[in-house]
Amino acid sequence: MNETQGSLKQYFANIREAVTSVSKGMGITFRAFLKSNGMRKQLGSVDYGAGPVTVSYPEVKDDIPLNSRNRLFNHVEGCIACNQCAVICPVECITIDSRKKTADENLDERTPAEFGSKPKKLKLLRYEIDEALCCFCGLCTEVCPTECIVHTPEFEYSKYDRDKLTYDYLNFKDDNPLPKG
Amino acid sequence: MGPQHPSTHGVLRLEIVTDGEIIKAAYPDLGYLHRCFEKHAENREYLQVVPFTDRLDYVAAMNQELGYCLAVEKLIEVEATPRAQTIRVIVSELQRIASHLLAIGTYSLDIGGFTPMLYAFRDREHILGIFEELSGARLLYNYVRPGGVARDLSRGLEEKIREFCRYFVPQLVEIEELLSGNAIFMDRTCKVGIVSPDMAVAYGFSGVNLRGSGIDWDLRKVRPYSGYEKYEFSSITATLEHGVIGDCWNRYNCRMKEMHESVKIVEQALARLEAGEIMAKVPKAIKATGEVYLETECPRGNLGYYIVADGSKQPYRVKVKSPGFISLACFDELTSGMMLSDIVAFIGSLDFVMGEVDR
Repeated sequence: MNETQGSLKQYFANIREAVTSVSKGMGITFRAFLKSNGMRKQLGSVDYGAGPVTVSYPEVKDDIPLNSRNRLFNHVEGCIACNQCAVICPVECITIDSRKKTADENLDERTPAEFGSKPKKLKLLRYEIDEALCCFCGLCTEVCPTECIVHTPEFEYSKYDRDKLTYDYLNFKDDNPLPKG
Repeated sequence: MGPQHPSTHGVLRLEIVTDGEIIKAAYPDLGYLHRCFEKHAENREYLQVVPFTDRLDYVAAMNQELGYCLAVEKLIEVEATPRAQTIRVIVSELQRIASHLLAIGTYSLDIGGFTPMLYAFRDREHILGIFEELSGARLLYNYVRPGGVARDLSRGLEEKIREFCRYFVPQLVEIEELLSGNAIFMDRTCKVGIVSPDMAVAYGFSGVNLRGSGIDWDLRKVRPYSGYEKYEFSSITATLEHGVIGDCWNRYNCRMKEMHESVKIVEQALARLEAGEIMAKVPKAIKATGEVYLETECPRGNLGYYIVADGSKQPYRVKVKSPGFISLACFDELTSGMMLSDIVAFIGSLDFVMGEVDR
C-alpha cells in the first residue's frame, strides 16, 4: 500500500515512477525477443541464454548423465549374495534368499581373474527389489563388494500395477529394453 | 486458506478470521506433511539417516545433509578432508542460489509477476544439471556423508560450474531489474508484514528473515563451519533502500543480494580446490556416545541438529530445529489488521518449506 498519495505532485510522481519501472521490465522482454530471433548466446560447451529452453519431452529426450541414479539393476551373475545391500537399504526394498553351496557345486562361471578374492559361497535363490519402495539414495551401490548392483539411467518404467514394479533379477523381464552396462 | 492453496508453498493450512477483507486472526495449522523423520532416524543407522535429511527441506537438500553430517562428525570427532570441505562449500552455496531462486521466482508468481519465475527456474535448472552430474540425482542428492562427500567432481564439472558463475551474474541482474524497482512489486511488498528487529529476535528468527529485519547474524560469519572463515563475503542485512526495515521487500532484497555473495564464494572455492582425498577415515559402522548440537546456515535460516547417541549403531534421538517452524510462529501477531491479499505476499517473503516445518 502506498501511503504517500494525496498531493497532486505526488500523484504525477507516482505515475512517472510506475511508467519508468514498467518500461524497464518491458525492455527486458523486448531484449529477450530480439535474442530469440537468431542471436543465441553460446558459452562453452553448454548452450545458455535465450532461445527455447523447454525440451518437448516424449519426442525429444534430454541428455541424462551416465551416473544419474535411476532404476536399480543387479547383474546376478556377479552377485555373491552377501546381503550387504539389503542391510544398508534405509527403506528395506531388497529381498535376498540364499543357501550354502554344496561341495561339488561350482557356482562361478567366471574365471578367478574376474571375481578376484570374492568367490561365490552362497547360491542365490531370490533377488528382488521393490522399485516402488526404492528411494534412489544409492547406498546399496556403494556397499556392493562386487559392484554388480548399479543404478541405471533408465527412468521410464512406470506400470499400471504396483506389483509389477517388484523386479526379480534371477529371471528379469520387462517391457522396457534391458539397460546395457 | 489451504491446505492446497497455491501460494502456501506446500501444505500449510491457515485458519483465518476475517472482517471483510481485513484479517482479525490467523492460526497456522501444521502437520499435513508430517513423516515421522525424528522417529525414523532412531531406527536407522547414522549413514542411513542421510537420505531422510534430504527430504526435510527438499528445496535445499544439500544444506540439510551438510548440517546432519557436520553434527555426526562432531559426535565421532572426525574432520572432513580439505578437498571435501571445499566441495561442500561449493555445493551448499550453489544450493543456496537454487533455493533463493525458487523462493524469489515463486514469490513473484504469488504476487503477480510471471516472467521472473520463468527466468529463475531456467537458471535453477542449470544448477540442478550440475548436481545431477555430480551426485546422480536432481533433488534428493544423498551426496554429503559423515567424513566427506560421496563422489568426486567428475571431469569437466569444475569448468562447468565456473561457466555457470560467469553466465549467472548478468542473468541475476536482469531478474533484479525486473523485480526490485518495479512499482507494482514495491506496492505489494513495501511496508507489508513488518517484523521489527526486536520482534525478530524475540521470536527467534534466523537467516534471511532475521537479516531482513536489520540484524547482522550470519552463522557462516559468526560461527564458521566447513572452512567458511577462509572466504571473503559479506553477510547481507537490510538497508533503507525502499520500504521499512523488516518488511517483505527487504527480506526479498536480502535474498537477491545474497545470491551475488554466494556466486563470489563459489568462485573463491573453485580457485581454492586442491587435489586430495574426498573421504576422511570413518568407521564403517558409526558408533558413538554423548550428545551434540550443531547449527548451520541454511537458505531458510539456522538449522540445528541435536543428536543423542547411546553407543549403539543407531542414534538414540535426533531432534531438528527448523527455521521455518519458528517463522510460522509470528503469524497470529503479525497478520491481524492485514489485508487478505497481503498475507500471500507475507507468506512468500518468509520462505518456509513445509517439509521442514512438519518434518
